[in-house]
Amino acid sequence: MNKIMRHGQVGRSAPRLEAREKATGRAEYVHNLRLPGMLYGKIFRSTIPHGRIRSIDVSAAAAHPGVYRVITAADVAKVVPNPYYGPAFHDQPILAIDKVHHVGEPVAVVLATDPHVAEEAAALIVAQYDELPAVYDEVEAMTSKAVVHDVLKPAGTFPDLKHLQGKTDTNVALDFHLRRGDVAKAFAEADHVFEHTFRTKAVLHLPLEPFVSVAETTGSGLTIHTASQSPSFVRIEIARLLGWPENRVRVKVPYLGGGFGAKLYIKLEALVAALALIVNRPVKIALTMEEQFFTLTKHASTFRIKSAVSKDGKITGRECEVWWNGGAYADIGPRITQKSGFTAPGPYDIDNVTIDSYSLYTNLTPAGALRGFGIPQLVWAYESHADMIARALKLDPLAFRRKNILREGNAQATGTIMRDAAIEAVLEQVSARMDWEKPFARSSGSVKRGRGIAIGFKASISPTTSVAIVNVAADGSATLYCSTVDMGQGSDTANAQIVAEVLSIEAEAVRIVHPDTDVTPYDMATLGSRSLYHMGNAVRLAAQDAKAKLADLAREVGVPEGSNIPIAELFVKKYKMQAGNIIGTASYIPSYVPPEAETGQTPNATPFWMVGGAGAEVEVDTETGHVRVTRLVNVGDVGTLINPRIVATQLSGAAVMQYGFTMQEQIETDGGQITNASFADYKIPSILDIPPMESEAVDAEQHDGPFGAKGVGESGTFAVSPAIANAIDDAVGVRISELPITPEAVYRAIRARNGDPLEDA
Amino acid sequence: MRAFELVEPATLREAAASLGADDSTIRPIAGGTAIVLMMKAGVFRPERLVSLRRIERRHAAIERTAEGGLHIGAMATLTALEHSADIRAAAPVIARMLRNHSNVRVRNVATVGGNLAHADPNMDMPPVLIALGARVTTISSDGERSIAVEDLPAGFYQTVLKPNELIAALEIPAQHARRSAYLKCTTRAAHDWPTLGIAVSLGDNDARIVISAATERPMRLTAAENEFRDPRKAAEAAADTVKIMPDARGSIPYKRQLVRVYVERALRAAMEAAS
Repeated sequence: MNKIMRHGQVGRSAPRLEAREKATGRAEYVHNLRLPGMLYGKIFRSTIPHGRIRSIDVSAAAAHPGVYRVITAADVAKVVPNPYYGPAFHDQPILAIDKVHHVGEPVAVVLATDPHVAEEAAALIVAQYDELPAVYDEVEAMTSKAVVHDVLKPAGTFPDLKHLQGKTDTNVALDFHLRRGDVAKAFAEADHVFEHTFRTKAVLHLPLEPFVSVAETTGSGLTIHTASQSPSFVRIEIARLLGWPENRVRVKVPYLGGGFGAKLYIKLEALVAALALIVNRPVKIALTMEEQFFTLTKHASTFRIKSAVSKDGKITGRECEVWWNGGAYADIGPRITQKSGFTAPGPYDIDNVTIDSYSLYTNLTPAGALRGFGIPQLVWAYESHADMIARALKLDPLAFRRKNILREGNAQATGTIMRDAAIEAVLEQVSARMDWEKPFARSSGSVKRGRGIAIGFKASISPTTSVAIVNVAADGSATLYCSTVDMGQGSDTANAQIVAEVLSIEAEAVRIVHPDTDVTPYDMATLGSRSLYHMGNAVRLAAQDAKAKLADLAREVGVPEGSNIPIAELFVKKYKMQAGNIIGTASYIPSYVPPEAETGQTPNATPFWMVGGAGAEVEVDTETGHVRVTRLVNVGDVGTLINPRIVATQLSGAAVMQYGFTMQEQIETDGGQITNASFADYKIPSILDIPPMESEAVDAEQHDGPFGAKGVGESGTFAVSPAIANAIDDAVGVRISELPITPEAVYRAIRARNGDPLEDA
Repeated sequence: MRAFELVEPATLREAAASLGADDSTIRPIAGGTAIVLMMKAGVFRPERLVSLRRIERRHAAIERTAEGGLHIGAMATLTALEHSADIRAAAPVIARMLRNHSNVRVRNVATVGGNLAHADPNMDMPPVLIALGARVTTISSDGERSIAVEDLPAGFYQTVLKPNELIAALEIPAQHARRSAYLKCTTRAAHDWPTLGIAVSLGDNDARIVISAATERPMRLTAAENEFRDPRKAAEAAADTVKIMPDARGSIPYKRQLVRVYVERALRAAMEAAS
């Protein structure tokens, strides 16, 4: 790695640039923004899961003292004639039109100068509905009589959705298929066939800063201040909705108090934009913690996985059927269905594979990306399945994986040859940290010990673009303009280190200009662990461009090559005073070959692979089903480390989040109504819940990443859930196939295994 | 949340007088850890809140009585109880329980009187106090009265207190050689409200065994108390007789199993505890 750390800026644990600002309460957040004349909007939401709107009576709300105005879809239509948005489908209306499709869908908005008045008045709106049959389960949605949308409306941006244009009587928002080899033959000839089904429940991002957006009309158009992970998308989508050129919409994003995939695409932005245009005053909407439950979730899923295995433990064929519960609006679900779907067979070298992955509409809160883009749901299934096979064949789980894993140079299910994917290294490092090949102390008595491992992988989103500008001022100081959103992941610091490495300056001296679409150039979005690779490359190239231009300037003013003359003096030599700039620019888009529609095959499925492994040691109380994770090892392949400390905290933070999804969190529903929409009843891990953890990266390099680096935000989530379930099986011989793993589920499984099942609730 | 009147009387007697005799939109507020959440959630919309924060300081005092018991002012915070040397000496089970009760931010402002008056069935304090044989002294326009903590809850979030009656103090009798333990079981997160709480106070010839959280209100497990010398028998008796409320923390059969396990474990813990 020394060869790339020429100046020591890349590869050091530089303190986060924003730490002091945040710790002293100076960091800028949309939540704190107040504009002169600003109105606060409070959303009135659907109380039913599916129905036709018969009437909306806003008279009492409008008459409530202090209310400025009440807005419904009829008002929105006057400024946005076709008010449907979304990244994959134009299916989501700014406010409900004719129908509501899930509990909590925005139906009307009360505007007032006092947010409490708006809230009081919103409670006075009365809507009447003719209820329609609803569907909640993703597998039932395949065939249910209840159909969520009358007609499908793909956005047109994704070629694999075009065939769904105008379709009716279906809840399938994307069906992705992959065919490789001869699966039927593999199963016919198999020594053993294993088939299991695994499920996950809907869970939530719950950033501690809930969704918040402000829009104001300006002389030229609109400015939107928003807690968004995708300012460039917001600009383009708002411009499309309004029929305006992009340059009339300005989107500004300061720091985010967490995102995790929730704050992508359009959330509140189209609504506040429409409201600001209707009333010609600034409008702010800040959701409560509870309202996050009505905005976006992680997909609930069902995964049926079937494997053909030889008697010596080689997997010869695999069938994967995955159903993704997308909720009432597609959001980015169809991309999860395809992008993550093609990794459903796991990081294994299997010649014969079929994948059928379905994105389903249901009458629940829309589902989208959440730290892993569908991968944790898949790894949960294929790594639980892996241990069940190994156990049945009396093979050591590590030996079974060693026999089957995808190695460098193998073809993955898409046919793409694996490059720079340290699957083997991650597996070996997890097992080494776990002392897997040494004896493991088990316990007698009612508390049993066990251990488990798991490994997962992910393909990066592709193909997407990042653009960066590096501005060197006349005194030599450098400023980076980029639209990557620092939502806590440390991108400002990492990007500054890249600029600093190229320009031979201190990372702490680099200034970052936060996303402002009037100022910072295009970036697809901050999602899917794409930024460090895509934006990191753009930043590196922009800094190199600036450096080349500085060399040109030196030549122009007659400074010999290799001189250490300060940059400031180059400017003075040229401009005779402190004046001028050097602007370095670059855009980066990796190469990509779309998969064939029928087979899902492509020689270039992704710019890079991410790998995450986990090992867990547990103690199971057989009298209560309580599981205590006594050790959690997380290992990731993140390429080279731009900032080792941030890498470690990203891995551990991701593992903590997935630990919550594994052991604690679930959105509970009853007839489409969410019954635990608060932190009081939806339990994220506290410091007391978090197990002892070790998190680290393997020594690896992504050959075309910036200084060998690639994404890190999600890898720590991949393997946590199955590692724990595998450890529980090791401890007490029961298999949990649905998340979360509650004490009651474990206790019931133990009783069932003992032939003395606990009576039903 | 909408505007409301906030009054801050200087004495407990004035505070009781400021409460309506029959108006559910007027409530007292002490630490506010429960009522403010209810207001934020919109389930309680007050016309007037009677704040107790300016009443006489003596109502926050913790004192050892001559008999070796404890007199605790209703405004004493849970943190004050947790760290009180008198409590640790006279009823150490309270201090041990509080370490795992809610979180330090809540304990710093929540008061013992508010904790009891709120009558949340998912609380750790009431079963422990019932096991210790504690009583509260209340004040209202009708005067003072003494109520056993055991008799205070009338149901789910309900007490026998009248709308204008305030808890003034808590009296815990001397425990002498009694040994006590409290075990709490959570099933969704370490910091969740308990799925089950079991408090035990063990004398030479009797036991008080109190269940909370899994039942409509905290209550004695008399069938288990009758079998207290054999923890396993007591556990079976408790599981066989208790009326359990199911919720998202567990089904009836599962909570019944937890009762079986935790009654036995709590009895054994009390047997091993120092008196």
